[in-house]
Amino acid sequence: MMIWIMAWRNIWRSPTRSGVVIAAIALGVWAALALTGFATGMMKSYVKSAIEQSVSHIQIHEPGFTEDYEAKYTLPDVAIVAQVLDTTVEVQAYSLRTVVSGMAASGQGARGVMVKGVDPEQEAAVSTIPEGALTAGEFLPEMRGNAAFMGSALAQKLGLKERSKFVLTFQDEHLEITSAAFRVMGLFDSGNTPYDEATLYVRRSDLNRLLQGGPEGAGQAHEAAVLLKDVGAADQVAGQLRAVLPNLDVQTYREIAPDLELYESQLQNVSLIYLAVILLALVFGIINTMLMAVLERVRELGMLMAIGMNRGRVFAMIVLETLALGLLAAPAGLVLGYLTVSYVGKYGIDMSGYSEGMASYGLAQVIYFEVPLAAYWQMGAGVFVTAVLASLYPAWKAIRLQPVEALRAV
Amino acid sequence: MAVISTQGVEKIYNPGKIPVKALKGVSLEIAEGEFTAIVGPSGSGKTTLLNIIGGLDRPTAGYVEVGGVDISGLSDNQLIDFRKDHIGFVFQAYNLIPVLTARENVAFVMLLQHRSAQERNARAESLLAAVGLSDKMDKRPAELSGGQQQRVAVARALASKPSFILADEPTANLDSASTANLLDIMYRLNQEEHITFVFSTHDQRVIDRAKRVVTLVDGKIDRDEVRG
Ligand SMILES: Nc1ncnc2c1ncn2[C@@H]1O[C@H](COP(=O)(O)OP(=O)(O)OP(=O)(O)O)[C@@H](O)[C@H]1O
Ligand SMILES: [Mg+2]
Repeated sequence: MMIWIMAWRNIWRSPTRSGVVIAAIALGVWAALALTGFATGMMKSYVKSAIEQSVSHIQIHEPGFTEDYEAKYTLPDVAIVAQVLDTTVEVQAYSLRTVVSGMAASGQGARGVMVKGVDPEQEAAVSTIPEGALTAGEFLPEMRGNAAFMGSALAQKLGLKERSKFVLTFQDEHLEITSAAFRVMGLFDSGNTPYDEATLYVRRSDLNRLLQGGPEGAGQAHEAAVLLKDVGAADQVAGQLRAVLPNLDVQTYREIAPDLELYESQLQNVSLIYLAVILLALVFGIINTMLMAVLERVRELGMLMAIGMNRGRVFAMIVLETLALGLLAAPAGLVLGYLTVSYVGKYGIDMSGYSEGMASYGLAQVIYFEVPLAAYWQMGAGVFVTAVLASLYPAWKAIRLQPVEALRAV
Repeated sequence: MAVISTQGVEKIYNPGKIPVKALKGVSLEIAEGEFTAIVGPSGSGKTTLLNIIGGLDRPTAGYVEVGGVDISGLSDNQLIDFRKDHIGFVFQAYNLIPVLTARENVAFVMLLQHRSAQERNARAESLLAAVGLSDKMDKRPAELSGGQQQRVAVARALASKPSFILADEPTANLDSASTANLLDIMYRLNQEEHITFVFSTHDQRVIDRAKRVVTLVDGKIDRDEVRG
């Protein structure tokens, strides 16, 4: 107790010096939290928009399709898939898609594209692209010809505008090259440039007709994209679906887009890495400060040992002093960090100044900070451990003093 | 009975390089209740002798017994504990812990001895009263005069109930009024409480108050007079 009182009062003998160290540690904790918040927010928004825009929570395919994306691998019985999904309570919405790769050509050039044939209402229920990303026109309106919904990035490359016509070419199910004219009825900008440049939405009925060369496959689809009420149930629902649809390939978003899984798992490590780097830098500052505190108190430490304070207690006193610095700094940094993360978590930080660069990596323009709760206590514990480690050398210096020599020191 | 007994104590500083023979065979007995001054010219070995008696330094040769214990046989850590329980120190300066009040400074040694809080408080208060500082108990050293600080140091030295008090030039930094005051207190403690004091000094007025004066010259006892 007395040793705590002494440690506490000792750190205020040089208020400026202690204040600087406390501020540095607090700032370090704050910075680690802010960086963690930024990185986590960015990754989460990436994962979230990938799920919301294209991946959904679960996808169902004919097994061959996942391997080579050929038009012939349609779902064998779309009606059963639809019925299963309709009766699964965890499913919020699903969209049946016919997917082919093809070539979009205009007077200005041609680009390889992924063509997604969708039912407009179904698609709007699982993806934010039809409504959230719409920048011009409409999402696949009813009309006599073939309607297309095109990324504005692709439209720009092809020199197309709203209502422009272009030619779409792809291989049909009989491996014959088919071409048809489409009209751009709407444009979208998802914020993910690579996706926008390579994706094209058309009506599933139009695409099926062109693929089949006949009416018999009007209802066919290659994939069912499923949105759940709760993303946390993805694995469980996928298991259920596998049981009732044993011949189909049921994948969760983690299996469909392994990069999302990687990001999610890395979130844990991000904060630790930032923290480790910052604390490493702080260690030297703390050692230096405590070493000064010991060296300017040589006579006093000699006196304490002369009157009977043993080395263990002297050692403990120096460790406690260092710890006291950390115990003042860590809460300050954590509170500051929490406030920053809460504020930016609520209002977001606008990265649109850099958004072109961000978008080209598929990243959002407004980042909402987010810090996993564990990061707070990890940082608290990190500061604690750092303070103890940094105190060892100064404390060792202190107990190496010989009282007679220390008392004589000038 | 002798509380302190030295036999042929020698101390050589810097053995090897340029050796300094600070003590050249000092044999001295100090009995309980003495009020003894160690005097002598600068460099005669007063501090060296007090440090060795106090277990702060080790003799190069010879034998030191304190309270019947041969302290040359103790390890550094054992010496710290021995000093804590058996010897009270008053140094020339830097006696007190700057961040603690007078009361806390006095209580501190008793804390090291694991005395109860109640005993610590009561004893700290009565000791500070005995040195005339009842009204300064909650002041920190920086708020006290040099003389007051030395009086706190005496109270602190007494707190652990030591066998004797060693004071190396306790009045060297004090003016004559404070010197007289500190000496009065030490003298009274010696008379009334039978506290044994061994102190070194240059100051003739302090020497005049001593009941026994041991004069060191060039590392040897030159004279040893007991006064009536
Ligand atoms: N640590 C040391 N290393 C080397 N020589 C020392 C050391 N301490 C003291 N000496 C020498 O030993 C001798 C005795 O010193 P000491 O300090 O005991 O004398 P003193 O009687 O206390 O002197 P003063 O009256 O000036 O305090 C002196 O010659 C001194 O220079
Ligand atoms: Mg001296």
